[in-house]
Amino acid sequence: MKQTTAVHIQKLDKNFGEVKALKSVSLKIETGQIFGLLGANGAGKTTLIRLLIGSTKPSSGHLTISGFDPTKGKRAIRKLIGYMPQSPALYEDLTPRENIHFFCQAHRIENISQRVDDVIAFVGLSERAHDPVYKFSGGMKQRVSLACALVHQPKMLLLDEPTSGIDPKLREAFWEHFRELTSKGVTIIVSTHQMNEAMYCDRLAILHQGVLLANDTPRQLLWNNRSRIKIWRGEQVTEKDLINYPEQLPGELQSYGLDSSVSRIEIEEDTLETVVLRMINEQEAGYLKEAKDDQYD
Amino acid sequence: MTNMIKRVGVVTGRVLNQLRRDHRFVGISLVFPLVIIYFIKVVFDALASPSFNISVYVVPYAAFIIHFITFILTAIVLVRERTAGTLARMFVSGYNPIEIVSGYLLAYTVLATVQSLLILIELNWIFELGYDLGQLASIYLVMWVLAIVSMAIGMLVSNFARNEGQVFPFIPLVLLSVILSGIILPIERLPEWVQALSFLTPLYYVNEVIQKLIIGDGLFDDWPKLIGLLAYGLIIVSTATLSLRESD
Repeated sequence: MKQTTAVHIQKLDKNFGEVKALKSVSLKIETGQIFGLLGANGAGKTTLIRLLIGSTKPSSGHLTISGFDPTKGKRAIRKLIGYMPQSPALYEDLTPRENIHFFCQAHRIENISQRVDDVIAFVGLSERAHDPVYKFSGGMKQRVSLACALVHQPKMLLLDEPTSGIDPKLREAFWEHFRELTSKGVTIIVSTHQMNEAMYCDRLAILHQGVLLANDTPRQLLWNNRSRIKIWRGEQVTEKDLINYPEQLPGELQSYGLDSSVSRIEIEEDTLETVVLRMINEQEAGYLKEAKDDQYD
Repeated sequence: MTNMIKRVGVVTGRVLNQLRRDHRFVGISLVFPLVIIYFIKVVFDALASPSFNISVYVVPYAAFIIHFITFILTAIVLVRERTAGTLARMFVSGYNPIEIVSGYLLAYTVLATVQSLLILIELNWIFELGYDLGQLASIYLVMWVLAIVSMAIGMLVSNFARNEGQVFPFIPLVLLSVILSGIILPIERLPEWVQALSFLTPLYYVNEVIQKLIIGDGLFDDWPKLIGLLAYGLIIVSTATLSLRESD
């Protein structure tokens, strides 16, 4: 399948008064990908999603979704996108069916009832479709919320921490849903601060304090980073970086041969968490330097 | 245009559906005004004097009760939409401010119709007003319009509040309308600069029209005040629609 650009962001800035929520962010998202926005609270993930759905305007820079500017012609964009906010954002007195029906009626959709039934079945709530939402657990509400975002069969899904506060089994089911959707050509942009989830994404943008630190595949992010070998000889420990792990490993081990004094060998690989933390530390160190320089200007 | 009307209908239907299940909200909206009016009756009975024309006061007081309760409940409901994230979701789903405000107004108008009717029945019953049917119908119409205008004020206020707590600072402004409207004492007795402010409260127009209806004038005899009330409502609804924003 030919890759096309679903989202194009160029030098995007967003300020809320004195607070710079996004600083010159540029990235492209290809159609049919699961694109993860990874970062701690306050990193700028939700702001970026709100810019994409046209809820707020950029302070400067440019962004397009399938060639449309979200700040102009919102109705066209909103037919293309499905949005699932962090909180379930549902009418608790109403049933899942009534909630989903209401949110999709703004779009001109044929055969709405059938579509609503299908999407309820997709999130596994057919048996509870006529119960009021206030009787539901947090995870069930999240499922209804996802169904509301999916019902008009959007080409792009924007999910703001969709799995926060739900159990691991349901989280697994959500990611299965997401993968199923991308196989049908849907582009998914998902924000998360959970590293294990980020590994499910095809591509990841790492954000910290509004700055885009990296934009790569999770595998590449890990490969670009360090692995270490630790060798114990009695109480003495030698630690060495492996530049090209695992290819370099046999050569590295060869140098120790059958040395009987080696009591233990350990290989430490960077996890995504350590990679991200290192990036954040390096970026913050850079910022401190800039701040110091500014003071002496 | 047809699609917009359809979407207004969808929002109205959804709000009515919620009202149907929110017994507490409907109960407060309908019962509280009736209880308050009953207590006003108790107070007026204690103050009873043959020369005292109760209806001059009691009908405008009932109008104020409608104004206050409708305003506060509408404002809180709309703020709740904002804090729950459903308002943002409505926007993202493709509804626009005109559809949202119109949908809410239409749905709550159903409630206001019942509320105004019950209040008028109670007033007529416990205070033995003795008005003819035409007078009662005219008073009902004015109260009904006031209820709708009060909802629009509630919507407008909710646009400037981020949570329910931020609605409460607006309550003194509504209470101030008791003084500014002339329902306690004629506004002619107030300083000129205070009189100028009376135009800012819908209760002023309502009181002026009601006082004329009480003495037996027709609904349109003081038509400038009636037009004033409608124009006031139109301005508030337009401002509430224009200021309804998707995000802060």
